[in-house]
Amino acid sequence: MDQEAIMYLTFCSLTLIIALANLSQIASGVMGYVVLFLVIIAVVFLLIMTFADYVLFPLVTGMFGITFQPARNYRITKGQDVVIKNVGGIYYAIGYATANIFSYVFKAERIQENEEERQMQSPESWERAVMSIPFPFRFHVLSVGRDVQTVRDELEGKRSYQEFQLSQAMKNAGSNEMVITDIQRKISVIQAQMDRISQEEKPVATLMYLETVAVGVSEKAAMDALAAQIKQLQIAMSALDVQVQRIVGRELYTLFKFGFALPTTYDEVSTNFDREG
Amino acid sequence: MDKKVFMLLGFVGISFGLVIADISIPTKILPQTMKLLLFAVAIVFDMIGMSSRFYSYLFSPALKQRKRNIIISDQDAYWLSTSGDSVLRKEGDSFTATVYIKIPLYRSATEMNDDEKLDFTRQMSRLLSISDNPTRYTAQLHMMNKDSYIRILRENISKDEDEEMQLTNSGAPQNKVERIRGRLAMWRRMLDSVTGTNSLELVSYAAVSAKGDKEYEATAIAHQHAREIMSGIASVFGVTPNIITGDDILKFVEPEHLLPYSTISEQMSKTMREQVA
Repeated sequence: MDQEAIMYLTFCSLTLIIALANLSQIASGVMGYVVLFLVIIAVVFLLIMTFADYVLFPLVTGMFGITFQPARNYRITKGQDVVIKNVGGIYYAIGYATANIFSYVFKAERIQENEEERQMQSPESWERAVMSIPFPFRFHVLSVGRDVQTVRDELEGKRSYQEFQLSQAMKNAGSNEMVITDIQRKISVIQAQMDRISQEEKPVATLMYLETVAVGVSEKAAMDALAAQIKQLQIAMSALDVQVQRIVGRELYTLFKFGFALPTTYDEVSTNFDREG
Repeated sequence: MDKKVFMLLGFVGISFGLVIADISIPTKILPQTMKLLLFAVAIVFDMIGMSSRFYSYLFSPALKQRKRNIIISDQDAYWLSTSGDSVLRKEGDSFTATVYIKIPLYRSATEMNDDEKLDFTRQMSRLLSISDNPTRYTAQLHMMNKDSYIRILRENISKDEDEEMQLTNSGAPQNKVERIRGRLAMWRRMLDSVTGTNSLELVSYAAVSAKGDKEYEATAIAHQHAREIMSGIASVFGVTPNIITGDDILKFVEPEHLLPYSTISEQMSKTMREQVA
């Protein structure tokens, strides 16, 4: 959870906390239960909006049949998973999917074993994957150079937190051995990242995603073809250790805009893609 | 302060005020049902405040239009700069210019030995840290544009069909009619073979954007970033990248250039004819 999420959650929870603390002054008896019920609904809503807004948003637009026009000739469907363009009676459906290659994701643990062998295989795996795809697609890697000191501070903060967790786990007699090993592993991963930065390696944040376009004589035909294409991409990219997950919700609109104008700062990228690596 | 934060404080402030009013006003003045209603309104404002984190761009058009198809923008998604070497987009008061750089990489893993493959993978990793500015590197597989070729074939077919009809009606010698029919069959076979298979092309390119208060300012900054990236690409891969200009840019922004219109419409009508037959 980033700082912005914490800020939104704190401010919005404030009203609910005050209401709960003064529940008897707002309503009593059955009405009191209704107020409590409303508070519970609001808490659930706040949590969903913080951690999984991509579930709620398409649900609401789907329920009410709401579509969006992000630009002239384009339309985002009610499912929030496709951008449609109608050109002379032919429908073009544009879809996006995340495509994080694990070993390049900053958050993920780097695979040390057989790394060289994997690197050697990757050009061939990529070519095989591309050759098995019979339709147009784009594989995008958006990279942003980060400030060394900021990244170092972040990593130090993370390491201190993990060290605190480790000391707590060590103190607790009932601690599971697995938990301690897991924390130690996390510390070693953070340390490895810090060492790489110390060796003058430039910290880079990356965002990887796939874009594909399908065509059809009707909107439905184009959307069906797109769904099939994304499934095929999932199969083709599996050889590259890539997790292909279809993008639904507000991130679709952001990626659509990226097609014409890219972000110019790291903050613009990170605030839009809290689900990404 | 950020516009988003103002919005959050505004909505949460209203919600907070309503809850305080709900608590402070005694039941004698405000009946319990009214209090409950007031509380529900406060909860709604609280939820809107939370939603403003990601969806503030929808509030204004949704409230103004109050219909199912919400128009976020009725402007074109982009326009080409007068110099034809960048894509421009306006958001708020600022312009964003995006420059596309072609990376001429035509190496295949099949003609590399293990060391070369390893080097290539490392070069790809180095590519990502060339620039501190957000840069997008893309591998694009698109359908080759056979529109003009198909158009010529169709023109030839219709010209020869007219000629055949004229010759038949005027009672011309049979050998002349047969010659025209032979030529027609040839054009039709060519059209069939051209549209029967998809010819796909893989290209690599980089894109970088810059913001500015004026069009020319954004374009100039984007070009400055592009030059930095081009020199990085040249030193990493030993190739000469170039800025994409004119209609070639459309291949990277328009869906119908990934799947060219005539190529695809010919294929679709052919599939339909086969299905009907």
